[in-house]
Amino acid sequence: MKRYIASRLLYSILILFFVSILIFTLARLMPGDPIQAAAMINTDLANPEIMNDLRAKFGLDKPYHEQYFLWLTDFAKGEWGDSLGSGEEVLAMFLRRLPVTLELFIGATFWSFIIGFPFGIIAALRRNSWLDASLTTTSIIGVSIPVFWEGIVFIYLFAVILPIFPPSGYVPFSESPWENLLSVAMPTFVMGTQTAGLLARYVRSSLLEVLGQDFIRTARAKGLREKAMLIRHAARPALLPVVTVIGLSWGYMVAGSFLVEYMFAIPGLGRMGVNAVFARDFPVIQATLVIVALNVMLANLTVDLVYGYLDPRVRIH
Amino acid sequence: MSDETIDQLQPQRASRIGVWAVMKAILKHKVSCVGVVIIILLSLMAIFAPLIAPHDPNEQDLYHVLENPSRKHLLGTDDVGRDLLSRVIYGSRISLLVGVAATIFAAVIGVILGLIAGYKGGMVDMVIMRITDTFMCIPGLILLLVMAAALGPGLHNIIIAISLIGWTGFARIIRGQVLMVRELPYIEAANAAGASGFRIMFRHLLPNSLAPIIVAGSITIGGVIMLESAAAFLGLGVQPPTPSWGKALRIGYSYLEVVPLFSIAPGLMITLAILAFNFLGDGLRDALDPRLRGQGKKIE
Repeated sequence: MKRYIASRLLYSILILFFVSILIFTLARLMPGDPIQAAAMINTDLANPEIMNDLRAKFGLDKPYHEQYFLWLTDFAKGEWGDSLGSGEEVLAMFLRRLPVTLELFIGATFWSFIIGFPFGIIAALRRNSWLDASLTTTSIIGVSIPVFWEGIVFIYLFAVILPIFPPSGYVPFSESPWENLLSVAMPTFVMGTQTAGLLARYVRSSLLEVLGQDFIRTARAKGLREKAMLIRHAARPALLPVVTVIGLSWGYMVAGSFLVEYMFAIPGLGRMGVNAVFARDFPVIQATLVIVALNVMLANLTVDLVYGYLDPRVRIH
Repeated sequence: MSDETIDQLQPQRASRIGVWAVMKAILKHKVSCVGVVIIILLSLMAIFAPLIAPHDPNEQDLYHVLENPSRKHLLGTDDVGRDLLSRVIYGSRISLLVGVAATIFAAVIGVILGLIAGYKGGMVDMVIMRITDTFMCIPGLILLLVMAAALGPGLHNIIIAISLIGWTGFARIIRGQVLMVRELPYIEAANAAGASGFRIMFRHLLPNSLAPIIVAGSITIGGVIMLESAAAFLGLGVQPPTPSWGKALRIGYSYLEVVPLFSIAPGLMITLAILAFNFLGDGLRDALDPRLRGQGKKIE
């Protein structure tokens, strides 16, 4: 197990290195000079001499590889630079917005669990019935429905026609727990729908595969009741592939948070990212990309480790 | 050499699965039938848009902006008085074009890289697969936002950006397929007969991997349509006044309380298109690759 963990960690560090090059390259490919962009926003800087000084200060006059290592070492030290738009420290912006996005992630995971698991389990147990067919079709719809359209339909139904939830905005939990829950109910549901659909499909197919195996027949033959059989024998092996889906979804939920935070006007990391791209706010774009990639990688690493723990066969490869 | 050994040297290839057999399998699969019907209808709508659309999609009528459905405008009008139904009909062109074009380009990139990685193995494989992993570390929509910002707006750039993002799934699938068949006798035979690496890759390994590429392709088209409209919704995409579902959704969203159909109608079309390709993908998977039944793949 130790060797397995070490190899996964090494692999993650290697990929992180590659990702950092990709991010740096993407940011450099963007048209326009960040200093010029800053000068457009803050006209005090619009002076060739000041702009050149700034370029020297940020190391933008150096060759690309030197710039890259400078950025990498600064980033590792926690010096993420200042936003070109607001002048605020990027690290501080990130820390302020992190709890908001984290709440959305947890809420979305909650919804996907309480929908995905029952859907998948019932569909598997009632295989090939009309119930299975309708649950499975609902799951495909859940996977296919775009976050932004589902969001709009929900806002129209539950904020315009039936004003139950606020159409947009975010109330911090510390201000009013009840209003906080109301303000995140729709965004988190919308964000979790796709994962719920995927989860239902994987739980179904993985449970069906396990239920077809000999040890389940043995459990049934010795007279074990259906519920006990499910919990004691089928649950653990059936959960294995599901772990992957949960991990992958957690990593990719970021894309959902970009859309949801944009449309519901929630001041989280996703909204910060979208705004930064449109404002060409390079320090914020780079930091957002690193955070997004780190999140995906940590989710993958966790899946690998959990998998290695649950299924000893994996460790050998 | 008896006929039997020759048969063993040529295991059944995916490409040998007849078109008719696949169509029959899809017809049996109710859900994917629905998908096929929707795709055919959408394609007809895109091709014959000028004949079906009741109005010119770009004709503005500033005396009749933001109207709800009426006899003259069945879905109402948008913020500059253009007929929404006509714009929705024309919008199918952009979504289908981007979906199909970007998927083909992505498949070409992914297939070539996956074939090389799987066939060459060793260092080449290592490097290609680590690059694939690297691209997969950033979710598609976010990569698309940054790439589209780097390339600039416009239809071509959106297609290029999505192609540069979507190839990773194809590369992984092909590589896996190649690894499975690489050691089979018929490849050994091709090698012994002196076939070049290029010939082995494209003449022998590729046909054997067609089935999963077709399945992935269908699902990828749905994913690409989702990506394109999500990007358009966030403000990146084709330039106005080209009718686009994602763009209409973006603008209509601000008028949700006044003219709900302005955003809900194009959104429904996007959903239908994605759903149709996912349904078809499901049916194709069952028809071409029974081992993968019941699994879903997503690109976001």
